Amino acid sequence: MDWNSPLVQVILRLVAITVAFVGVLMIVAYTVLAERRVLAFIQGRLGPNRVGYGGLLQPFADLLKFILKEDIVPDKSTRFVYFLAPVIAIVCALMTMIVYPFGPEITLPWIGHIQLVITRFDVALLYVLGITSVGVYGIALAGWSSNNKYSLMGGLRSSAQLISYELSLGLSLVGVILMSGTLDLYAIVEQQSGWNGMQWNLFRLDRFQLLGFIVYLISAIAETNRVPFDLPEAETELVAGFHTEYSAMKFALFFMAEYVNMLTVSMLATTLFLGGWNGPGVASIPILGVFYFLIKVIFFLFLYIWLRGTLPRFRFDQLMNFGWKFLLPVAILNIIFSATWAYFNVFGSMN
Amino acid sequence: MVALLFILFAGLAVGCALSMVVQRNPLYSAISLIGVFISLASLYVMLAAPFIAAVQIIVYAGAIMVLVVFVIMLLNVEEEVRRTLRLRFLIPTAVLLAAVLIAEAAFVIYSVQSEGKPLQDPSTSEVGLTASIGTGLFTTYLLPFEITSVLLLMAIVGAMTLARRATQIPDNAIIIPGAQVLPKHTIDPNVVEDPTPVITHTTAEAAEAMGEEDPHDLSKID
Repeated sequence: MDWNSPLVQVILRLVAITVAFVGVLMIVAYTVLAERRVLAFIQGRLGPNRVGYGGLLQPFADLLKFILKEDIVPDKSTRFVYFLAPVIAIVCALMTMIVYPFGPEITLPWIGHIQLVITRFDVALLYVLGITSVGVYGIALAGWSSNNKYSLMGGLRSSAQLISYELSLGLSLVGVILMSGTLDLYAIVEQQSGWNGMQWNLFRLDRFQLLGFIVYLISAIAETNRVPFDLPEAETELVAGFHTEYSAMKFALFFMAEYVNMLTVSMLATTLFLGGWNGPGVASIPILGVFYFLIKVIFFLFLYIWLRGTLPRFRFDQLMNFGWKFLLPVAILNIIFSATWAYFNVFGSMN
Repeated sequence: MVALLFILFAGLAVGCALSMVVQRNPLYSAISLIGVFISLASLYVMLAAPFIAAVQIIVYAGAIMVLVVFVIMLLNVEEEVRRTLRLRFLIPTAVLLAAVLIAEAAFVIYSVQSEGKPLQDPSTSEVGLTASIGTGLFTTYLLPFEITSVLLLMAIVGAMTLARRATQIPDNAIIIPGAQVLPKHTIDPNVVEDPTPVITHTTAEAAEAMGEEDPHDLSKID
């Protein structure tokens, strides 16, 4: 069989993308379960533990319920846009999944060497930023088309918040790009494989990126509408924000999109700052890389859940002031600092 | 394969562009325009210019159109009703300009074909890659790049100045905390011509200025 013929390559890619989507949605399902259990633990409750052993089948019970619920469309909604909005949200969330390298090059029996990444290209990082910025439309249009004042307020708040924090998110990554000299995520991960797999961008003194990492982490929480930045769906003021009028599977699509976005920013943080699949022993046993990657991503997901159980919500003016007057200047400062640091190269190249 | 993808994305771009012009609802027009931008980005990818494609998505689809959609939502612009054409003279102008554009495109295609160069495979080209664009910007085209950045800075400063001026409160208005901004003559009709503002900082002062009792004065309550 000719592995290099275009048709075989296209089919292989399609299979890989399908497998990745299914995997991502499984992780999302169990993140939701983990969130409910961990939050319950933080609040001194039990959480869902009836379906399956310790509640392990709960996500499937939820899914079944979402499918079987009545799908309500408000009479005065703008029909076409109302249907389009959840589709935009979930498609944009899932599309970024194809560029993350989740493991090093492994050798399979009669296939040969393959890199554990679905596709590599020159502008992978810009692709991620671009697709996530298009995802705003899902929320904004959902708020507008529902013909409900709470939805509209939620949609407007959300788009204002996403536009504001996108800036500091993008700028906080410039430091890493500057130091790595490439936008290809696989190459960025490969550069961090020294020191027996522990030469992560966060730890390297020649690439000092602690400030960038902190700015990224905060903006990423705001980008995914999570506590303490969950104003678009502040239930005490706005019922449920932009998805007030959505029910059944359409609501589930928004719900999944939110968790997929969480996963996206966790994966990006892992890739850019925490060395991606690098870790001790990956050089000799490559498949260990997938394990390390998952551990790091799960750490970030846990951090999100932990924050949700700990922090109260911002006020809207505080949110805007924090984004524009604090986070953005700090991100710009980080760029200036990184450029100076790279120019004078105090610690030399550590490779 | 490539031809198939080209037909798909080019068709999508043309379809979305037509829909943008034809739609009555401004929000539908905006959504169609986003569709045009995304299909154009796909075409750029096929021409081996991934950087331009990514920038197209980030700047146009992700930033500018979000602002447009935001404004349409905020102002809640209603569906356009068919008006009598006041600007009738624009129709022949539009036809003329469209004809010029088509002639231009035809001329470019004709001159490229008459050169007789063989078609290049775009996938082997390095021009569209990030590194070559960056090198070009900071060596050969450094001066235009710097001039553009100064222009952008001027635009930012200008936007800020304009936005700031709009929020200034006119001199002949007074502010009553907890109430609303009222023109001065609503309090005292005799001073319509008097431009000096009466400034009150608390509800008590405002009540005094309006000749009323302070609603929050605790000593008046038994």
